[in-house]
Amino acid sequence: MDGGPQKPAVGWENGMLAPVDRLRTERADSPVPGLVEGTEPGAGQQSAMFVHAQSFEDLTAEAEEDVEREAELDESGEPSEDLKVLVGEETIEKQHNDDIPPERGTKEEDVSSEAWRSHRKHVFVLSEAGKPIYTRYGTEEALSSTMGVMMALVSFVEAEKNIIRSIHADGCKVVFLAKSPLVLVGVSRTCQSDKELLRELQYIYYQIVSLLTLTQLNHIFQHKQNYDLRRLLAGSEYLTDNLLHRLDRDPGLLLSAVTCLPLASSARDVVSASLQAAKAKNLVFSILLAGDRLVTLVRKKDQFLHHIDLHLVFNLVGSSSSSREGEGWTPICLPKFNTAGFFHAHISYLEPASELCLILVSTDREDFFNMSDCKQRFLERLSKRSAYQAMKEALKCPSYSVEQVGIPELRHFLYKSKSSGLYTSPEFPAIYQSDEEQERMMGLYQDLHSHLHHPTRPLRSFYRCSETENLLAWVTSGFELYLCFSPLGTKALAHSAVNKLLKWIRKEEDRLFILSPLTY
Amino acid sequence: MSAMRVDAKVVMLGKESVGKTSLVERYVHHRFLVGPYQNTIGAAFVAKPIQVGEKVITLGIWDTAGSERYEAMSRIYYRGARAAIVCYDLTDSSSFQRARFWVKELQNCEEHCKIYLCGTKNDLVEADRSVRQIDYHDAQDFAEEIGAQHFETSSKTGINVDELFQKIAEDYNSTAFQYMTAEETGVDLGLKKDSYFYSCCHNN
Ligand SMILES: Nc1nc2c(ncn2[C@@H]2O[C@H](COP(=O)(O)OP(=O)(O)OP(=O)(O)O)[C@@H](O)[C@H]2O)c(=O)[nH]1
Ligand SMILES: [Mg+2]
Repeated sequence: MDGGPQKPAVGWENGMLAPVDRLRTERADSPVPGLVEGTEPGAGQQSAMFVHAQSFEDLTAEAEEDVEREAELDESGEPSEDLKVLVGEETIEKQHNDDIPPERGTKEEDVSSEAWRSHRKHVFVLSEAGKPIYTRYGTEEALSSTMGVMMALVSFVEAEKNIIRSIHADGCKVVFLAKSPLVLVGVSRTCQSDKELLRELQYIYYQIVSLLTLTQLNHIFQHKQNYDLRRLLAGSEYLTDNLLHRLDRDPGLLLSAVTCLPLASSARDVVSASLQAAKAKNLVFSILLAGDRLVTLVRKKDQFLHHIDLHLVFNLVGSSSSSREGEGWTPICLPKFNTAGFFHAHISYLEPASELCLILVSTDREDFFNMSDCKQRFLERLSKRSAYQAMKEALKCPSYSVEQVGIPELRHFLYKSKSSGLYTSPEFPAIYQSDEEQERMMGLYQDLHSHLHHPTRPLRSFYRCSETENLLAWVTSGFELYLCFSPLGTKALAHSAVNKLLKWIRKEEDRLFILSPLTY
Repeated sequence: MSAMRVDAKVVMLGKESVGKTSLVERYVHHRFLVGPYQNTIGAAFVAKPIQVGEKVITLGIWDTAGSERYEAMSRIYYRGARAAIVCYDLTDSSSFQRARFWVKELQNCEEHCKIYLCGTKNDLVEADRSVRQIDYHDAQDFAEEIGAQHFETSSKTGINVDELFQKIAEDYNSTAFQYMTAEETGVDLGLKKDSYFYSCCHNN
């Protein structure tokens, strides 16, 4: 980590008596913006919206605590013999999948095939009794013996009072995350670090908890160790599939941050104030989304949302292609807030054909009509104001091109303001339009990210040249920045670009970030 | 947009993938969505006005998820419902077992709720009789035994779908007429009046 414990965000509320306007100018004039947390471009003027989000460490720390004792097993170790099943040196034992009815159309895959084994990343979830719960590819039934092997491995090592963390063999990594009563296993051919892979498994774990609560999970397995959890998870597999897809594609999950719909702050403030006015006793969070972008978030005073929980909400909303005309009402556990209970989310679109989705999170499951009423009040108030039109206009260009920044050879970047937990990034330029290219790009960012967040040797900055692009990553206590240049760029150019980019973001921060989050 | 007044609460119940969402889609939006099936998460609510004689009655339809995960939650969806459409898939006998479960649940907990037993995906059995797993007469007998109406519908072709909802609205209308007293029965979305439901009142 960079230099000891993180100082709390500079309190704009406490101690600072200067009016907001003056603060803004001071912020803009600062010669080296953003070296201190809370003053970086994009930092909110009041308290942050999210649980204080140093968050990457926040997220993985937990896993690391679990792994106090670790067993590093290498290729010579006994267990990796068994793992050849996963790694693919040998053919997987013939599965009797002929008599298994295909449950999910897209998952009808022969698990003994080369194609199945060559997927870049497998994810398996099983119970501590070794029962399959989820597989990313193929069906759980067909894989039950493979899962059995994994569970045997985990318990074999645990019996020795150790915990298996990962196995490396043949360009393939196997990562284990034991989160009682579940065990998650990732098998990856990517060059992601163990830590990154663990982070992804954590997300999957939280996804499952968000559907059931941890209390219910524990309860079930205490009563029946052998329980087939797929019964309760039936119909939710696509949420997990989608989350895995997002993990490969969405920089927000990598950065532990969310991105906003670019919108003039005057308009955003009106939208936020309208949401703030449409409050109700049990309403905890009001979240307005445009696709995967946050328009605004208003929360109950003293209640914070964790970005992981927010990403789970994004995933829930983004995964459902169902009718936009009705109103949804669903229990959801926000595991970073509380793993024991359900919130109840009212999900609706502002207009049938619109991308604008409002999520109202209440503590009371009887609150549907109250929430429905909040939405009406919000809409009535907002639709009278010009901000509504401005927001709808903004939807037409939800992103911006990197050319607007005016830095030669710069192709793309990710900028995260640490104190606000928000990030900004231009759209991918034409050369990165294809899915494969975008995933490759994400792979490069993941690689930079793991260098900056290395568990024992974190770097503050990192420059890397390749034939296809040059990359620079830079982290301070205020922000994280990842830049992608054409291979024509030089290191000097890259470094001089940082200041220019920070200035540009400072200039645009009103539009790109939520500077004045509200509470009710 | 103004708040919509709902006259009768209607709840869709039945095993997952029997076609509850498709039935609502067909009735409300006159369409049948093809493509990968997506389970409903939680429940969805939609209000739909329907003409009965000279009157317009607004049905508040709750499309619930069939997954067992939500079973504990189901009460909030059927409580106070005037009609329940209990669906089963004509091509899946296990779904009929599940329908029996829901009927029992309603009989125990919601005695004023009228039951409409609905066999779905009729187009499939029309196309190939051998896929039918629930005999029409068996279901009809069961419906009579429990005092329910019985329909076989297809959301794909639309057959019997409007008829089903029309019947619900008419039944509601005639019973509402019977009970027409000073008591008002609707739930107004813009005005919370079921006050035991909502312990708080907020104003802005
Ligand atoms: N051929 C045919 N297919 C249907 C019909 N109704 C539904 N289906 C199909 O059955 C599948 C499930 O339909 P849904 O309406 O989503 O089922 P559901 O009861 O809402 O399921 P849950 O939300 O999981 O409880 C989908 O693939 C539909 O296309 C029908 O009338 N005919
Ligand atoms: Mg459904």
